[in-house]
Amino acid sequence: MVSLMVFSITTITMTSGGVGKELEVLYAQLKEFMKENPDIVVTVIPMPDSSTERHDLYVTYLAAGETDPDVLMLDVIWPPEFAPFLEDLTKDYDYFELDKFLPGTVKSVTVNGRIVAIPWFTDAGLLYYRKDLLEKYGYKNPPKTWDELVEMASKISKAEGIHGFVWQGARYEGLVCDFMEYVWSFGTDVLDDKGKVIINNPKAVEALQLMVDLIYKYKISPEGVTTYMEEDARRIFQNGEAVFMRNWPYAWSLVNSDESPIKGKVGVVPLPKGPGEEGRHAATLGGWNLGINIFSSKKEKEAAKKLIKFLTSYNQQLYKAENAGQNPTLKAVYNDPKLKEAAPFMVELFDVFINALPRPRTANYAEVSDAIQRYVHAALTKQMTPEKAIAGLEKELKLLLGQ
Amino acid sequence: MIFPAILVISVIAFFPLFKTFYDSFFKFGLNPIFERQFVGINNYVRLFKDPRFLDALKNTIVFTLVSVALETVLGLMIALVVHQPIKFRGAIRAAMLIPWAIPTAISSQMWRWMFNDQFGIMSRFLEALHIIQPGTPILGRPGMAMAAIIAVDVWKTTPFMALLILAGLQLIPEQLYEAARIDGANAMQRFFRITLPMLRPTIAVALIFRTLDALRVFDVVYVMTRGSVGTETLSVYNRHVLMDRAFTSASFGYGSAISVAIFVIISVFAIIYIKSLKLELD
Repeated sequence: MVSLMVFSITTITMTSGGVGKELEVLYAQLKEFMKENPDIVVTVIPMPDSSTERHDLYVTYLAAGETDPDVLMLDVIWPPEFAPFLEDLTKDYDYFELDKFLPGTVKSVTVNGRIVAIPWFTDAGLLYYRKDLLEKYGYKNPPKTWDELVEMASKISKAEGIHGFVWQGARYEGLVCDFMEYVWSFGTDVLDDKGKVIINNPKAVEALQLMVDLIYKYKISPEGVTTYMEEDARRIFQNGEAVFMRNWPYAWSLVNSDESPIKGKVGVVPLPKGPGEEGRHAATLGGWNLGINIFSSKKEKEAAKKLIKFLTSYNQQLYKAENAGQNPTLKAVYNDPKLKEAAPFMVELFDVFINALPRPRTANYAEVSDAIQRYVHAALTKQMTPEKAIAGLEKELKLLLGQ
Repeated sequence: MIFPAILVISVIAFFPLFKTFYDSFFKFGLNPIFERQFVGINNYVRLFKDPRFLDALKNTIVFTLVSVALETVLGLMIALVVHQPIKFRGAIRAAMLIPWAIPTAISSQMWRWMFNDQFGIMSRFLEALHIIQPGTPILGRPGMAMAAIIAVDVWKTTPFMALLILAGLQLIPEQLYEAARIDGANAMQRFFRITLPMLRPTIAVALIFRTLDALRVFDVVYVMTRGSVGTETLSVYNRHVLMDRAFTSASFGYGSAISVAIFVIISVFAIIYIKSLKLELD
């Protein structure tokens, strides 16, 4: 009997990030899962922090037809690219109760009508601001438009001798997230609904011009912003050396930690909207999904489905949000009083998370992203005018997408 | 007894080289939906029409020439100093190797922080000397970023150069200097007539080592700037072609062609050195 039981154990492996308390939280969750499912053993392969490096790892695993890892943690932009290597979960739609998830996250895992992964946690770009400083200079409300942000940031930063606004301007994936938010806030886009390149228009040029002006004209962003990633911006903001910061939800628990000099002085609002009738608040959708390696055995795939179902369940998402600061993908969790207590902004800014927009959806996203990064960064470092950069970007995107 | 050695070399060196060369004549990707298609020398023709490749080639050559030249001169100077019977010679020789012993990925990250515009110690230092304006992003300015990367590479690899040259210095028989002194040669004459000629094979080998390394430079560039503001080298561009496009466009053959191009460029440099420095490879 005992030997039979040993024989029926299925071992599966999963990849996971290790940012902040992410890994610690996952190990606790897996311990519970394995207690509930004594016939399954899960081992974790921790991955590098950078999404680009994780991408390189997956290319290596999948191109080689490796049967491990069985469960893949996938960035929200990858499903179209990796779809041929991911188990089709369309028939399991009801098993995973996907109609209870945030619609944007479900869209991100749908490739040509096929479900290839399950949303695990979500993310959206947010504006962090110094409540105490805005109050000190007589501003009752945080900025609603970019113009207001520029005005407040100029005044406060000059008077206080600190920076006005820090964000992510280095040439990497994060720059695409920031750039898209400006483009959307001005009421335009890189690709239209049918995937046609529409970036070369006056609004997109204005949006990029604003990014450049933040640095060189208004001088509210330090020139070094062209070398900053998330953590560079957070360090400056958390040291009390900036009035505003664009960042993801993860920064909330850190700027409010006991070691933070600005603990309790920070507010979070949606990013400002662009000028005119079509100006709107916009946030880039981030987050990670769980998919299953198509090369895994049938038994491993079944176990993997059980694991994904467990990790994306109500209780586990709540636990993850409370302990790792990662936003739930299940709508119902946002009504839970426990979440409101741990991360009030997640509940207050529910609209931002539900309306977050995906980056250009295309199977060769990595190439499209690379083109956006290069042209936008060239404009930010004054190697090209915004007009030239947008025109060059249009040309390259059309070439990449065969238009 | 030679057979196992040849077998091992074939498997680990010649096979991948041959495979890359072979792959460079095809258009294919790692996604199973791509069909392998023979395209002849098209991938090589494309190289010359690809402005990004040509930029990367230029950046790589600039990086290599400047960093290897500086490393050789500084390495030679350091080697001459630590070759002298000075105090704590052993300790100094060991200590000078520290930059070389730190993994490049780590030291590059360290330097990235030191060049940070807000809290970077190098930025503060250069500001104090009025070389740069306060708040200048060293790694975000064209030209400056490449200079910073070269500086880090020089910091890291000069010790290695010094070590190789030091080994060469120790092979020069002391009698030659004694004879020269008796003949009345001064220090300059001894250096140019004895030291430098005797060091020629050593310097040639060191130059080849360093140039091969520099031509395929990846980590210091990738960690510090990811190839932005005019610092993209051939290897950094090749990573993009091979990894970002692996499943999405059939450019694995093109990536192989870039790899072969790097191999050819390295060979050309090696041959120039061997010929011009009259090195005997026996």
